[in-house]
Amino acid sequence: MSRGVFGDLPNPVKYDGDDGITPSERGEVDAMEGNELTPHIQEMKRVLGDKIDEEQLAAELDKYLNDYHVNIESAKRGIIRKYGGADASSFATSATVVKKIADLSGSEQNVDVLAKVVYVESKNITVKGLNKTIVSGILGDETGTASFTLWESGSVMLDKGSVYYFRNCYCKLWNERVQINLGNRGRVEPAPNVSLNVPDRSITLSSQECKIGDIREGMGNVTVTGKVLTTEARKINVKGEEKMVYSGLMADDTGKIQYSAWHDFGLKAGETICAKNAYIRAWKGIPQLNMGDRCEISRVDAVFDIQEGGDSKKTVGDIARIGGGLDITLEGLVVDMKNGSGLIKRCPQCNRSILNGVCTAHGQVDGIPDLRLKVVLDDGTGAIGAVINRADTEKLTGISLKAAEGLAAARGEGIVAREMMGRILMRRITITGNVMSDDFGPSMIVRSAAPVEVDLESEAEKLLEEVEAAL
Amino acid sequence: MNARETAWRVFAAELNSSSLEIKASEEKMPSYVVSPLGAKMNRVLIAGAMSEKENIGTDDEPLWKARIQDVNGMFYINVGRFQPEASAAMADLETPCFVAAVGRVRTYTADDGRVYISVRPEHIIQIDEATRKEWLLETSKSTWRRLKYAKTAMGMADAKVADLIGLGMTPQEAEGLLYALDNYGEMPDSSLYLKTIQNALRTLLPERDVDFGFPEGADDGPDEIDIDGGGSDEHSHGQMEEIILSLLEELDTDGKGAPREELERRAEAEGISGIELEEISNILMDKGLVYEPNLRYLKRI
Repeated sequence: MSRGVFGDLPNPVKYDGDDGITPSERGEVDAMEGNELTPHIQEMKRVLGDKIDEEQLAAELDKYLNDYHVNIESAKRGIIRKYGGADASSFATSATVVKKIADLSGSEQNVDVLAKVVYVESKNITVKGLNKTIVSGILGDETGTASFTLWESGSVMLDKGSVYYFRNCYCKLWNERVQINLGNRGRVEPAPNVSLNVPDRSITLSSQECKIGDIREGMGNVTVTGKVLTTEARKINVKGEEKMVYSGLMADDTGKIQYSAWHDFGLKAGETICAKNAYIRAWKGIPQLNMGDRCEISRVDAVFDIQEGGDSKKTVGDIARIGGGLDITLEGLVVDMKNGSGLIKRCPQCNRSILNGVCTAHGQVDGIPDLRLKVVLDDGTGAIGAVINRADTEKLTGISLKAAEGLAAARGEGIVAREMMGRILMRRITITGNVMSDDFGPSMIVRSAAPVEVDLESEAEKLLEEVEAAL
Repeated sequence: MNARETAWRVFAAELNSSSLEIKASEEKMPSYVVSPLGAKMNRVLIAGAMSEKENIGTDDEPLWKARIQDVNGMFYINVGRFQPEASAAMADLETPCFVAAVGRVRTYTADDGRVYISVRPEHIIQIDEATRKEWLLETSKSTWRRLKYAKTAMGMADAKVADLIGLGMTPQEAEGLLYALDNYGEMPDSSLYLKTIQNALRTLLPERDVDFGFPEGADDGPDEIDIDGGGSDEHSHGQMEEIILSLLEELDTDGKGAPREELERRAEAEGISGIELEEISNILMDKGLVYEPNLRYLKRI
C-alpha cells in the first residue's frame, strides 16, 4: 500500500494488516515486538523529534498494531499524522523526490518542484456539473518550463515572477509535453529567498514561423502571416481595469484562426499582416493567436489562395495532432450514432435539449421540437464525435421534422432515432465546423454536412496505376 | 485522453493473418491485435457478403454467429447481448446480403497456439453494392498504404517511430508497424495482401484486366496459416473439388444436403484435411456449385 513512503526501510514485523493472522501467530509477534519494533520507533522519532517521547510512541504503536490490527506502515503514518501537527504533511513530502523541470518524465506520481511562476491565470471549469476554480499557467526553473494546474486552488494566490515550492505534484504528458498537476494532496509554499533564473529561451520558445493550418496547442511563440478576415473591438475587464481587445479571424492558404490583439495595432479586414512573436493559447483545444506586448505587426504583400469559405480539409488524424480549430472539413463514414439523436425537445429559454420536459436550468418547460444527430465519424485515421443540426439532419436522413413528429406520434418516440440510424450508419459524409478536444477526444459542432459521392472507377484506376507502377 | 479507437479498414486476409496481441495492462486500457502489416486494431470496419448466420443462443438471449466474405477471405462475427443494436439488426438480416459492420476485434487462442480472430460488431447494417465497392476501394487503399510503408520501413536500418512519422505515417501507424516488424520475427508475406488488392480491383474494374500475377480463388481459409502457392496446387485443388462434389451427392440422402461432420470425416478419409475442405467449399460456393442451407450442411446446387 504505502510502500512508497517506507519502501527502503526494513520491515521485519509480520503484520500485513488484520488478515488471517491466528492468535498463536500473533502471540509470537507480540513476544518479539520489543526489539523488532525498535527501528520503526526510531524512524518515527526522527520525524517527530521531541513532540512525543519514546515510551509514548511505543505505546501508541502497540495500540495501532495490537488493538486495532493496523498494518505497520499505516500505523506509522497514522501516528506521525496524529503527533506531527503542521509538519505531518511535510513528512509525506520527505519521501517525494525533488526534480528539475527538465528531468520530469511526465509519469511522476509524487514529486516536488521548486519553480518560478512564469505565467498564471484562474479559470472556471465545470466538473461533474459543479463550478470550480482552478489555477493554471507556466512554471520555470533553470532547466526549462512546463505548464501547471492547481486543481484545488483554495485560497492560494500565486504571483507571477515569484518562486514557490510545489509539493506533492503529479505529472502527465500532453502533446508530448510535461504538465505539472497539484491535486488535493498538493501544496504550495512560497520560497521568498530563492531566486531562479529561468532562461529566456524557455519562456520565449524562439518564435517559429508557421502556417495557420499547422498551429496547435502548446506551441508557444509563433510568427504567422495571414489575411485579416474580420475585426472587432471589445471592452473587457482585466483585474478591475477596463481594456480594449481587438479580435477576429485571420486566414492563410492552410486554415483559419481566431486572434486577439491586446493592443490597438490598427488591424483592418482585408489586409495581409505578419504577426511576429505572437503566442498561442488554446481554448478547449482550439488554438487562438494572441498578439501581446512583444508582438510586432507588419503589413505584407503576400496574396493567399484562401479557399471558398476558408474551410480547411483535414483528416481526423491531423486533429489528434493539432487539437482543434475553426472551420475544419472532414470526410469519413458514420460508424456510430449516440443517444440524444433524432427527435428532441429544446428549452424555449436557453435552447438546451431537455429530457422529459424538464430543463436543467429552467425546470418544467414546454419544449420546442427539434432534430439533431450525434454521430461518430471515422475516416480510418481516427474517430471524432459530431453534432449535426436540424437542416443537415433532414438533408442526410431525408426525414423532415414534420415527418419525424408524425412518425413519433404514430409509432412512438424511439422510432425516429432508429429510422435515422438505418439511414445514416456507414454512410460517407463530409462535415464542416469548429473542432475542439477534451478528455473524450475531439468533437465537432457541425455547421454544414453533406453526403459524399465517390467516383469509384477513377479512384480505382488511380490505385491500380500506383500499384502497377510499384510492382 | 480516451479518444475513440479508430476503425481500421482491413481485409479478412490481413485480419486473419494476425497473431500478435497487445493486451491491456491496466483497466480501461484498450487491447489491440497487430497485423503483420502493422495495423494496430482495437476496432475494425468490415464489409462484404454475409453468407450465413445462425443463432446459437436462445430466442430470448440470442448469440449470433455469422460469416462475411470480402474478396478472398472470410470474417467471422459474433453478436451477443452486449451488442443490443447489432443483435436486433442480425435478427432482421436475410442471407445472403451485403453488410457493413463496425466492431471490436476478438481473439481466441487454440491449444496448439494458433490465434483465431473474430469481430464483435457494435453495428451491422445492410448495404447496397455501391457501398460495398466503396469499402473495397477504401480498404484496398489502406492496405496498399500499409504495404508500402512496411516495405520502406524494412529497408531502413533501425527505424524509429519518429523516422516513420517523418515519412508521413501517423503515430499509431508507425507504432503498429514497428511493433509488427519487431515481434512477428519475419517479414510480412506481401503476396497475400497484393492478391487481395488485385481481387478487389477486379471487382471494382471488371472491364480492366487487373493482374498482379496471382490466381483468383478463395484460398484464405480461416485457420490457414501457410498458403501453398504454385501451379501444382491448382491441379490438386481441381481434384479435390471433384472429390468433394461427389461426396456431397453421396451424403445428401434426405435432400437437406450433406451433414458437415460426416463430410469432414469422409473427406479426411480421402486425404483432404479440414482446412483444405473449408478452402474447397469456399471455392465451390464462389463458383456457385454448392451452398450452405445452414451452418451444418453443405449442398450441391
